[in-house]
Formats: sequence, structure tokens, C-alpha cells
Amino acid sequence: MKLTPMRLLLGAIGLGVGIVGVLALREATLSTHEPVSAARETELVVSAKTKGGEERQTLPEMVEAQVQTCRLEVTSDLAGPIEPLGDGRFRAVLTPAMDETNRRQFRGCVEDWVIDHVRIDVIELANAT
Amino acid sequence: MRTIGWLAGVGTLLAGALYMIVSLNRWEWNRALFFGLIVLIAEVGLATGLVLRRLARLEYRATRVDPAVAQILRETRPPSADRFAWLREPARDLNVFITFLVGGGVLLSGMAWVVDRVASKSSSPAGEERLGRQLDPISYPAGGLLLDDITVLAQEVPGANDDQIRQLLRRGGRP
Repeated sequence: MKLTPMRLLLGAIGLGVGIVGVLALREATLSTHEPVSAARETELVVSAKTKGGEERQTLPEMVEAQVQTCRLEVTSDLAGPIEPLGDGRFRAVLTPAMDETNRRQFRGCVEDWVIDHVRIDVIELANAT
Repeated sequence: MRTIGWLAGVGTLLAGALYMIVSLNRWEWNRALFFGLIVLIAEVGLATGLVLRRLARLEYRATRVDPAVAQILRETRPPSADRFAWLREPARDLNVFITFLVGGGVLLSGMAWVVDRVASKSSSPAGEERLGRQLDPISYPAGGLLLDDITVLAQEVPGANDDQIRQLLRRGGRP
């Protein structure tokens, strides 16, 4: 293959885009924890749906299982039981409050495919005093 | 149809890659793994398709040779190497091959002669000795089959005048 200036330019652009993309992805997936001073707890509100689950499997226990699983990935723990808000919505409070990285990680885990037959969307995940 | 297949493959690859990056950015590892698998499958499929397309092009080119060019190539084909030219050389020219052939023959003949002599010197006496041992069960007993010479000579028996029988009788009459 003959190397022309255009091909060299396109190759350089592609290489640059690739390097920038990898660095950006690295930055986005890197844990950089920081102290949380103002907030005392983190409030979580999710919307959950189930489809094709096993018999005697309820939506609240599936949500609780996924939240408990994901809570193991962060430093916060559930401060109380998960409250059903109706219409497939649930609310939970975790203490201590999570920093930005932990919130992203927790949100990603809750919305990920961790448990079969359940899909959870995070409606609210914010720190509160 | 082929274009639709290519578009579907490329679309799957791009969409899978996009969703994989988005999932990674959202810390959704299971989703990222799933879309990464989709990307891998699409990539393998596209690569296989490209290879097969290149092979098909090569086959098409191979079958599209201009007859005139093929004729010229056949006519200008270099002669094949004559590897047995030495067979046509005059017999008086003894080259290395003939020398080795004759020398090898003489050497082999000499070796065969030596083996034959050694074998004849060693195998014949041993074979005769073995044959003699095998003949022992059917040989005449040491005491002979008939009476002793005096008794036989004293009697007129049929065949007593036969030389061979006489020989046997004499042999049998020995102590």
C-alpha cells in the first residue's frame, strides 16, 4: 500500500482519536474518591420492572437483592428498609453519603444486568443533609 | 441482498461498539461485556466476509486469462531441464556416475563373494552334522539286524551271495 500524505493524515487523526478516547474512558472509569463533608446520607429512588421471573419471586425482593449487591461495591450501607412507593418505585437511604465516584459506580451497578428478569432505572440518587 | 448483509454487519459493529463505550462510561460492566461480545461477533463475521470476498476475486481473476496471452505464454514456455542428458553421451566417456556405478558393482560383487564363501564354509558342515543327527533314529542298530557272519555263512540263505547284503552282514557281525 502506497503511503500518501492524505493517508498519513487520516492515520494520524485516527490514532489521535483512539488515544483520546482511551484516555477519556480511563478517566471516566477510574475511582477517585474524595471526602464528603456537607451531606450525611444518600437518597435513592428507583423504578423497577420485572418480566419472566420465577414463581414466588416478587419485585420488592428483587430490588432489595440488587441494591444490597451493589451496596457492596461502595462504602455506604442501607440505613433502613427499602420503602415501596407504588407503581414500581422504591426508595432507600444509604449512609454515609457517597462521593461522586461512588454515586456513579452505584448507579451503574443498580442499572446493570446483575439479577435476571429485573430491570431497574435510577430516578434519583442524591446526597442529603 | 449482499449489500444489506454488509450494512447489517457494519451497523451491528458500530452500534455494539457505541453501546459498549456508553456502558463502560456508566460503570455497567455486565452490559459492557455483552456489547463487547456483540462487537466481537460482528467483527469476526465482517473479517470472514472480507476474506471470502478477496478469495472470490482471486478466483475470478484466475479464470479470466486472455486466450492470446495464454497462447503466447505457452509458446514462450522455457524448455524443461534435461536431467538425463548423460544417458545420451558416448559410452567411451566414463564420467563420475559410470565410475561409481562400476566401482559400486565391483565392490558389491566382492562383498557377495566373501559372504558366499564364509557361508559355505560355515553352514555346510553344520548342516551335515545336523542332518546326521536327524538320521540317527533310522540308522541300523550297532549290533546289526541279522545273525553273525559265521551263522550266516553256515547257512545257505537267499541273497547271501549279494555283495551289499554281504557287506551288511559283515558289518552287523562285528562285535
